[in-house]
Amino acid sequence: MSTAERQRLAPAFAVALFVALLLPPVRAWLESRMSLQMLVQIPLLITVGWLLSAALPPRLGEGIARWNRHGISSLVLASLAGMFWMLPRSLDAAIGEPWMAVAKFASVPLLIGLPLGLGWPHMGFVVRGVFLLELTATFFRLGWLYLVSPIRLCNNYLLDDQQRAGEAMLVIGSLLLAGVAIKLLWGRFDST
Amino acid sequence: MSSLELYPQDEKLPRGEHVAFNLYMITALLLFVVMMLLGLTMRMTQADWTPVQAAMFYKVMTMHGAGMVGTMSLASTAVMWFFLRKYVSLHLWAFMSNYVLFMLGALCIIWAVFVGDFASAWTFLYPLPVHSMGLWSNGAAALFMVGYLLIGVGMLLFYLDAAAAIIHRFGNLGRGLGLQWLFGGEIDPNHPKAVVASTMVIIANSLGILAGAVVLVMCLINAYDPEVALNALVVKNLIYWFGHMIINATIYMGVIAVYELLPRYTGKPYGVSRPFLWSWAASTLFVIIVFPHHLLMDYAEPRWMLVMGQIISYAAGFPVFLVTAYGVLTNIHHSGLRWTMPSMLAVLALFGWAAGIVPAIIDGTIGVNRVMHNTQWVPGHFHFYLLLGVLPMVLTLLYHVVGSRRRAPVNSGTDRAGLLLYVVGGISFCMVFLYAGHMSVARRFSTHLPEWLPYDQAGSIAAMVLILGMLVFATRIIVGLLKAPIDADPAHPAG
Repeated sequence: MSTAERQRLAPAFAVALFVALLLPPVRAWLESRMSLQMLVQIPLLITVGWLLSAALPPRLGEGIARWNRHGISSLVLASLAGMFWMLPRSLDAAIGEPWMAVAKFASVPLLIGLPLGLGWPHMGFVVRGVFLLELTATFFRLGWLYLVSPIRLCNNYLLDDQQRAGEAMLVIGSLLLAGVAIKLLWGRFDST
Repeated sequence: MSSLELYPQDEKLPRGEHVAFNLYMITALLLFVVMMLLGLTMRMTQADWTPVQAAMFYKVMTMHGAGMVGTMSLASTAVMWFFLRKYVSLHLWAFMSNYVLFMLGALCIIWAVFVGDFASAWTFLYPLPVHSMGLWSNGAAALFMVGYLLIGVGMLLFYLDAAAAIIHRFGNLGRGLGLQWLFGGEIDPNHPKAVVASTMVIIANSLGILAGAVVLVMCLINAYDPEVALNALVVKNLIYWFGHMIINATIYMGVIAVYELLPRYTGKPYGVSRPFLWSWAASTLFVIIVFPHHLLMDYAEPRWMLVMGQIISYAAGFPVFLVTAYGVLTNIHHSGLRWTMPSMLAVLALFGWAAGIVPAIIDGTIGVNRVMHNTQWVPGHFHFYLLLGVLPMVLTLLYHVVGSRRRAPVNSGTDRAGLLLYVVGGISFCMVFLYAGHMSVARRFSTHLPEWLPYDQAGSIAAMVLILGMLVFATRIIVGLLKAPIDADPAHPAG
């Protein structure tokens, strides 16, 4: 499949993915465990936003790009929104409070995924490097924190679930680090 | 292959770069002198020659350790930048961001130590920073760690810019390191050694910075939420993973000056060979996994890590050192080397590196380590390595640059006298530490037993001689750096 074809299909795929994530059985399953909500549902919602960036009219995209040099505005917005959805309290509320659930399903794609999708092509090597290194470090820090925290961080999830999420985050951080290292050492780069 | 022309055109610094280089190096020289004076204060306190209280001693020790590691890193980064920029396109903003963030980090550390009374050594081993028994506040400990974070961010920006430039020119970091020639193929004789060494440092130190970024933030969380108790051994592993690589990388950045400059003084080319590439590739891996040799006394450390620490200790330094020593000695042999300040300092650096490795390898042996690690043997090793290895590498470049401004190598009687003081003082200072270690004198104690005082007194006198030599170097180099080049355009004087 060519890049142009992928771009053409991306919005449709985003809508389909979003609808699938909204289906009650899927939502109930993905929110039944902390690890599933944090490490599957939220990343998929980010993916929805990322794919949506291809649906923006070119003129709007160009207008946004003027305020998004090197993708830094995107990164700041996505980081701030990401920090909010990293808080256990936010995850908890998104299960118990309907308005927080709406906020999650709206803000994660639109304030994290979409800005990242719009900003990533404009980010240079250094900005991407800082982002990926900080993302990896965050997985390690949160994984460690969730493993050693003596108290339950979410009312909706038990301690063992929290610790499983911590272990999963350490694994994801390690895989991310290995992937970046392999790419840097042996990968191909179109431009830096 | 690097040029044999003594002062090639592509090495001249444009105005912005000139100011940046001077800022780095003058700051580093001043900091080196101040940190050496703090070190002298410590030795004189142990010798019972100064009325410094124990609380102040540990503050000075913390500042001296953090300051020397940071300053070595700052100066050797400038060495790497100076040569790497000839082969790849580096951005001045990244180099200057590193400097600005270093200075901000240094201010945090100075404030934490001298205003906040933080004194848990440069290694800030958990849980000491948060168990001060009233000597310092959590805020001071946090400020110290924030200082490290700022310095780490600065270094990361510089490394990312350098990585981008290497990838842009060579395709990926593996090709920068020369991995494509390990098993065959015709080696490009023009592949720069500076790129090989820089690539190794970028890979190793970026991983170290990542470990530091994780452990520092976790320690900060613990400082404000003590319920989140950390595993002290995991923290120690991560601290040494990052700390060991930061200080070890200084020699791999500094040695670029020897690779680039020595052939110009011998007049003999010094090309890249397969053993050279193999040694750097092996050291890239080994330097990343050698850190457990700092934890040989930690009985709870997994056994396989201790075994790895010992084996890799033996292997880590050797490949690059042997290839460099062999390369440098064959380069000097029958060359008619011009013995001027840069070439003498380059040879001294190689000696310091060689001799400094020996006590490290001895201490990296588990049986010895159990007895020697908490003695002055260890400061003996790292002072040897840093004072007579890394610092002379930096000074090699600085004397070369000062010479380039006058189009003639520096070789005055004053400088040679400074070198004599530095060498005699430096070797004596390190040997006293090593001998005291051999006699089981404990390290990191502010107050010493009467039987230990002769070593402390001899060490203090040696330190004074060394500092005299360093004062000569610092004065001569700073004056030399601030002088405009003789062929400078008078309408645009260099900063």
